[in-house]
Amino acid sequence: MAKVVIDGKELEFPEGTLLFDACKEARGEPLPHFCYHPDLPIAGVCRLCQVEVEGMPKLTIACNTHIRDGMVVHTRNEKVIKAHKQILELHLINHPVDCPICDQAGECGLQDQYMKYGLYETNVCKDDKVTNPKAVVIGPEVILDKDRCVLCSRCVRFCRTVTKTGEMGIFNRGDKAEIGTAPGVELNNPYSMNVVDICPVGALTSRDFRFKKRVWMLKSADSICPGCATGCNIRLDYEADSIFRIKPRYNEDVNGRWMCDSGRKEYKSVAAENRLQVPAAGGSEVDWPTLFNKLKELGKPALVITSPHNSLEEQVLGQYIASEFCGGNSSSGLSDSFMGNADDMLVDADKTPNRAGAGLAGVKEYPAAEMIEKIKAADAPILIHTNDFDGNSEIVAALATKTVIYIGTHENEISKQAAIVAPVSCWAEKDGTFVNKQNRVQLFKRAVARPVAASEDWRLLVDLMKLWGISDVPESMPAVRRLVSVRVPELNDFDMNAIAINGEIPGSAEPDAGGEG
Amino acid sequence: MINNQYKILSRRFDRNDAHNISVYEADGGYVGLKKVLSEMSREQVIAEVKESGLRGRGGAGFPAGVKWGFVPEGIEDIYFMVNADESEPGTFKDRFLLDYDPHMVIEGSIISSWAVRAKLCIIYIRGEFGWLVDRVQAAVDQAYAAGYLGENIQGSGYALNMIVHKGAGAYICGEETGLINSVEGRKGQPRLKPPFPAVCGFLDKPTIVNNVETVAAVPDIVIDGASEYRKHGTEKSAGTKLFSVSGPVKNPGIHEIPLGLPFNEFFHEWLGGMAEGEELKAVIMGGSSVPVLTAEEAMETNLDYESLAEAGTMLGSGGMIIIPERCDMVELIQVLMHFYWDESCGQCTPCREGTGWLHRIVKKLRKGEGTLEDLDLIEKVCEGMAGLTICPLSDAAVMPISSFLEKYRPEFEALIQNEKESISSSRWAREIRS
Repeated sequence: MAKVVIDGKELEFPEGTLLFDACKEARGEPLPHFCYHPDLPIAGVCRLCQVEVEGMPKLTIACNTHIRDGMVVHTRNEKVIKAHKQILELHLINHPVDCPICDQAGECGLQDQYMKYGLYETNVCKDDKVTNPKAVVIGPEVILDKDRCVLCSRCVRFCRTVTKTGEMGIFNRGDKAEIGTAPGVELNNPYSMNVVDICPVGALTSRDFRFKKRVWMLKSADSICPGCATGCNIRLDYEADSIFRIKPRYNEDVNGRWMCDSGRKEYKSVAAENRLQVPAAGGSEVDWPTLFNKLKELGKPALVITSPHNSLEEQVLGQYIASEFCGGNSSSGLSDSFMGNADDMLVDADKTPNRAGAGLAGVKEYPAAEMIEKIKAADAPILIHTNDFDGNSEIVAALATKTVIYIGTHENEISKQAAIVAPVSCWAEKDGTFVNKQNRVQLFKRAVARPVAASEDWRLLVDLMKLWGISDVPESMPAVRRLVSVRVPELNDFDMNAIAINGEIPGSAEPDAGGEG
Repeated sequence: MINNQYKILSRRFDRNDAHNISVYEADGGYVGLKKVLSEMSREQVIAEVKESGLRGRGGAGFPAGVKWGFVPEGIEDIYFMVNADESEPGTFKDRFLLDYDPHMVIEGSIISSWAVRAKLCIIYIRGEFGWLVDRVQAAVDQAYAAGYLGENIQGSGYALNMIVHKGAGAYICGEETGLINSVEGRKGQPRLKPPFPAVCGFLDKPTIVNNVETVAAVPDIVIDGASEYRKHGTEKSAGTKLFSVSGPVKNPGIHEIPLGLPFNEFFHEWLGGMAEGEELKAVIMGGSSVPVLTAEEAMETNLDYESLAEAGTMLGSGGMIIIPERCDMVELIQVLMHFYWDESCGQCTPCREGTGWLHRIVKKLRKGEGTLEDLDLIEKVCEGMAGLTICPLSDAAVMPISSFLEKYRPEFEALIQNEKESISSSRWAREIRS
């Protein structure tokens, strides 16, 4: 351990800690910076994180200095504050200050740091500025405004060291330097939108989100990406009942600070045109009491088909129903459903978020042939609870002859022929847990409201249990989660109602450290 | 040239065939190399160079022996580079050494490489010096043929290869880490330090980069010893130094002087004073990047590291620019600001934006559109640029303009108040209109 004094505060850090991080802890906020990023190699070019280290002749940048025992550091003395101000001014002299039409406004490093460390009278008149091309499309997802760029090189370093695709570079030198891609090269890799996140200014913006919403109007909900079994921690940014974008949420043990471009599009299905809006029986719209009367007439199910897209809570309730009425006859979709390609970063071959959770709940998976046998053998209604059942045409044909109770979110071939259609919530419209491929139980939270006439999944399943004669049912989400702990042997000692922000692997030695936000 | 008794580094400049190895050998060449390989240990060589007080002649003046001592023990791949990217405005000494006496540089390089245990030596020559590349390559080929390079040099078991590398035309590649990046095929931009190249340089291995003039002094030091070297110069500025003098003096060109020589004496006796009809106004002592001295200040100082530091400037590379009275200081600073703006590599914000800003302000002044506030703004911009960047280019731009403004402010003010016409040379008039 090394003892250092930062702004008069005596602190201890492990030897070799980056001075930047030590200062962050001492100050309670990071030093002003643009180029430093914890997951990228140090560039040391923005020169903003200057601090005074006693005994050194000049100010030094904290992002390229490691602490030594006995170091005395000043981050808020007159000399340092003056340097911060002057360097910030130099960052801004050729900036267009087009905040009113910039998507980054509201979450912009230049704006924030100017308000905090700048606040000087301008010395530049607008004719003095170096201008650069604006709104250059550099790839399918990202648009580049070279005029706003502060040349921090984060995007260049990201493409070089994280995706190792190297599409971006800094061309030319001096104040003619500009970020870009080489002629004929597109920023087109599965993680390209991360450059939008790490760009500290409005130079790189998302073509999807561009001009859709002012960021200060957005609220955020912590969630988990439903796109694959990796379970990237995400943030759903929404306003009123619309989700506008998905951003990665830092979780060192799962996705770090990144996520894939395809995961960022997952929100689009929430407001898709084929959402099931109202309950239906026999192909016509009904209200919920009528629906329940119909269900009573149909009787108890003989087979439950769930989906690896359902939450752990829903899997457990589905399996509960299966074990009470169907002799445990259940399947979470097909054993080979929703499989795709994986890469060596985050994308997993399993395109479902909760196959591990289905396994924990005791729901089995069958190959298509076996599933068809089960469907054919069913002598009572078949309960299907799924977002999007990956049914092949043979399964659809087999189900056509049966009475199907379909609980789901989107219209598909199976819902079209179902006797009962009960609309429920998308992942973004409800609380729940997914278990990712590491067996990490992770919480996702509701961002937006479900369609007015749709039900919450767990509530509907509980109501069905009551309808079919189970009296002791959970009546709240905490109660459902307690039931999960009871019914899943692996979770007997696991408090489902106190899951840490970064998720927890049941039975692992220690709970994970808190997230960084 | 007069004062022949101080001609040490430049002793063969007057011979037009000294670039041939036979002439060099006949004049005592490669004796130093043979001596170190047969009689001296590496530690002795490093100690001798340390003792000699030889300082880096590229501009920074860092003690060469001390730099060599930074190479860590126990590493096999070590590189030695000779910085011949001479591009500091006003400086033209290294090209003389390479042109007229390439073998002295090569011998010094081999001795230096041996001392730091390097296995490869790269001579990095400024791209614009095309003919020098051929000249030096021919000399290197001769040295290979004579057994001074390659495997088992002079039977010592030491193997060293030497590559002549041509730069592609960037001032900043003369900064040692920019040079290393350039040799690696990267963009010529200085690297963040630490780590320093002596620990992590070319291909992330220990690398020593020395100026041409520095290595050229090494053979004499190992042959005659440190005390002989110290016969010239002062305690802190040992030896002789090449000054490249430009401007309207009677004897411009290369002059090798003992460090510590009073400028007054150098100016009057060596340079012969100003040319007919000219009057001395100011002197830039060590290349365009150092603060300017007025004629009075210059006359009171001596030409060595410590005296010039005391006078508020630097010895730098020894690129001395004599500025005559008729010269417009605002025009001159525009030339320099254009240079630094054009040559900034652009990675550090203060330099990238600051050099451009200074250039634009000066251009505005020269157009006759400046205000007195602009002069304060120059000072302010300079404050935000000085000492805050990866390499010294930012400071190199600040030092001339802030000293020009400090010492010749009335000229700037006169221009602003339209008391004088400034646009004088056609090139810069064009530049202003653009």
